[in-house]
Amino acid sequence: MNADVLIIGGGIQGCATAYHLAKSGVSVIVLEKDYAGRHASGVNAGGVRLLGRDIAEVPLSKASMQMWQGLDKTLGEDTGFRRRSLINIAADDADIETLRARQQVMQSAGHSHERLMDQQELREALPHVHPSCLGGVTSDLDGYAIPYKATLAFKRAAIRAGARFMEGEELISMRRVGPVWLVQTRTADYEGDTVVNCAGAWADKVATMIGDQVPLSHAAPMLMITTRLPHFAGPVVGAVSRQLSFKQFANGTVLIGGGAKGFADRARNETRLDYAKLASAARTAIEFFPIMAGASINRMWAGLEAYMPDNLPVIGPAANADRAFHAFGYSAHGFQMGPITGKVMADLVIGGICDFDLTAFRIDRFDRKTL
Amino acid sequence: MFTSLRRPSSSTVMVTINGQSVPAHAGQTVWAAMALAGQTVTRQAALSGEDRSAFCAMGVCFECMVEIDGQPNQQACLRRVTEGMTIQTQNITEHSGAQNHGL
Amino acid sequence: MAFDCAIIGAGPAGMSAAISLSAAGADTIVLDRAPRAGGQIYRSVADSPLADVSLLGEEYLQGAALIEAYENSGATHMADADVWHIGSDGTILFSRDGETHQIQTREILICPGAMERPMPIPGWTLPGVMTAGSAQVMLKSDAVTAENAVFAGSGPLLYLIVAQYLRLGVKVAGLVDTTPLANYRSAMHLGPSALRSWPMLHKGLSLLREIRASGIPFYRNARELRILGDQRAEGLSFHSNGRRDIRSDTVFLHHGVIPQTNITRALGLDHVWSDIQKCWHVKSNAWGQSSSPHISVAGDGARISGAEAAQSSGRVAAANILTRLGRINLQDRDQQCRLDHAFLAKQAPFRRFIDTLYNPAPALSLPEDPDTLVCRCEEQSVQNLRDGFDKGAANPNALKSLTRCGMGPCQGRQCGPIVTGLLAKWRGISEADVGYYRLRSPQRLLNLKEFSRFHALSAQSDKEAAE
Repeated sequence: MNADVLIIGGGIQGCATAYHLAKSGVSVIVLEKDYAGRHASGVNAGGVRLLGRDIAEVPLSKASMQMWQGLDKTLGEDTGFRRRSLINIAADDADIETLRARQQVMQSAGHSHERLMDQQELREALPHVHPSCLGGVTSDLDGYAIPYKATLAFKRAAIRAGARFMEGEELISMRRVGPVWLVQTRTADYEGDTVVNCAGAWADKVATMIGDQVPLSHAAPMLMITTRLPHFAGPVVGAVSRQLSFKQFANGTVLIGGGAKGFADRARNETRLDYAKLASAARTAIEFFPIMAGASINRMWAGLEAYMPDNLPVIGPAANADRAFHAFGYSAHGFQMGPITGKVMADLVIGGICDFDLTAFRIDRFDRKTL
Repeated sequence: MFTSLRRPSSSTVMVTINGQSVPAHAGQTVWAAMALAGQTVTRQAALSGEDRSAFCAMGVCFECMVEIDGQPNQQACLRRVTEGMTIQTQNITEHSGAQNHGL
Repeated sequence: MAFDCAIIGAGPAGMSAAISLSAAGADTIVLDRAPRAGGQIYRSVADSPLADVSLLGEEYLQGAALIEAYENSGATHMADADVWHIGSDGTILFSRDGETHQIQTREILICPGAMERPMPIPGWTLPGVMTAGSAQVMLKSDAVTAENAVFAGSGPLLYLIVAQYLRLGVKVAGLVDTTPLANYRSAMHLGPSALRSWPMLHKGLSLLREIRASGIPFYRNARELRILGDQRAEGLSFHSNGRRDIRSDTVFLHHGVIPQTNITRALGLDHVWSDIQKCWHVKSNAWGQSSSPHISVAGDGARISGAEAAQSSGRVAAANILTRLGRINLQDRDQQCRLDHAFLAKQAPFRRFIDTLYNPAPALSLPEDPDTLVCRCEEQSVQNLRDGFDKGAANPNALKSLTRCGMGPCQGRQCGPIVTGLLAKWRGISEADVGYYRLRSPQRLLNLKEFSRFHALSAQSDKEAAE
């Protein structure tokens, strides 16, 4: 099968890229080894967060956040997005100091979306927070979406615009012969002028086929979700220096993260949980929000996530091949960036340029001279 | 209508089911105590709020989740009554709000 | 001191295995959710609240001897131990007295038992609708019965509970048998080989004779079942030589039993679809070994074959585990299992006969009315699922992610088999190709506070706690 562009990976980055390309009239095939949204894009914590981003990511993340606000309308689909604001709680004076320093950095870079909260404001926004918490920082546009719904929304909109999705198509080889990329999967052969690597936790393998080496590592951030609780927290909640992160969805269930990692076994496509660490995340949640002592955990799991050494994604053209592009390595915070990634990749594929400075995201930023 | 064929036994405890004080046999399941007291609604369904009651009575279906001594999501068919236990129909739906203790 | 083997579930399979393992000197711990050993089938037989327990039948009474042998076997029994996680690394996490405990053993034998096949007829979520198994459980453990109830469905367990009710003098409003006439014809073809297990067949027939002799309303070849009532059950409507209604505030449904696979699924073991039994079961070899060699399975939770076969499969799995522990050699294992393997082979034709005769009617396994709820927890109807399917969610996990079907507290135990069946029907492919939900721990709701007090118990203190 032939297309102008072959996208490897049906996660949110691949689906959003397919959507923007197809809408511009480019013929697109997405090759997905499982089904769209099967891995990190479908089972992540659903955070749509601008707060606390690395300064290099802020312009992209800001643009993406604007897209999220109207995404359901744009795509004609339900992504489950809810604007709820995100609050990072300061537990002690050291946290307050951290926030002040961050505030200075953000202001000198001209960013004003992060707003400090004092203790009174914090308790008004989160009446159930432990009274000892001192304050926090918030970003108003932040919220959450339902990961699988959002990924599927991009996929369906892409299909309506003419993109083709081939699921259950695991890549075996990829090579460039003259002006075309020849891609072989377990069941079929594909040809395209351009390839886009959106292969998530498997993107380093695809990059190698393209000709780029990249120091991608893997981890399994753990999550647990409760059964419904009476609504007690409107905003999404994080903490400045503690392993605390949760959101209460509109349906009443509470998703608790916090960054504790399980064991990632990419070779077997598996993750294992570290229950002692998860138990400590449970303790932290109860310490900050005593009302959670009565919560019941319904499921615990860990997704397979890919990390770059600097926790920044790779976004941009291949270093060692023509007509190949990368968008991966979001280091467990790429869901929010999906909408803008699709736009940026489409711009790069079609015109070779985009509206953002992608220097920080170059694939060869870790290349070293050998002795 | 549920009835008991239990042979006479001496050890009885008192429990409160939805505000009603009833005797129950020590070691009896909470669900059996509820059924015999005619209090068969265990919970309200999470979306519609419709009444639900025990279904499998062996811990598989989670229909019989009640609040026991203030703790929600207790399976009435698995839990056993103890003296002074307070049992309540569970009413947590998508629309429930938490009481504001914080401010 | 560590345990050689942990057994999950003290039903017939688990108890029999524990007896064999302990007799051979293997240090064995049995984790069971109930206050006393017995499993569902022999529940409370050793301490029945009924005045005359013999009315429940000979088969039930036989459990008392097994429980006694088990309780004297020397295995460490941990009652009220609710296992909510088994890891492929051999870690077992369980709740007991509001605390989370952890043990690790070289070998694990999982005996999760059976559950009733979901029977999603219109109105099956109304209060007053329960399962025949629930009637049995309530009777055995609490001596609670429902007066004037309707029993509907198909399968030996249904006839057993009706007969037990009648013997106890409990009034029964009617028995509505949904076994399709065609099943009798298919089963008759298997007759001669099934007759070799004559005593078992005889037992089943005498139950039916007993029910017929009682004179209660008995309807056969019933179909198009529907629960009457809006707020709660008020009776059952069905078709059997014309439309009929039976008024009652309690309807007990039964549509056969299937293995409980949540714990083996969450563990990542391979599972297979049985076209004969119309259910999933964990994949295991003749010795009960799963796709992970150090994890074995036995009893109805591994494959539906009844209480006697469960005991055999428990002993067989135990013998194999003993060889893996280096306590007996292969010849001894084979010798030791000769009788049990022979029994299992002998009852296979009878099993085939039962499976054929009580093969679930498709119309009662897969709801046809678009408004009938498939997922009881998250209240997802056939129509909701069809909409999700039409949006592109074509496998159980995608459908779950999109609609929340299977995300509730029961973790898909009720909707899972239905979802696989519906997707198979809609896609025109086999259940085996559709697959099943990916499942996660915990196996039951886990209180956050309890979990936060997580600590690892040493094997020695476990033993002390059990004593």
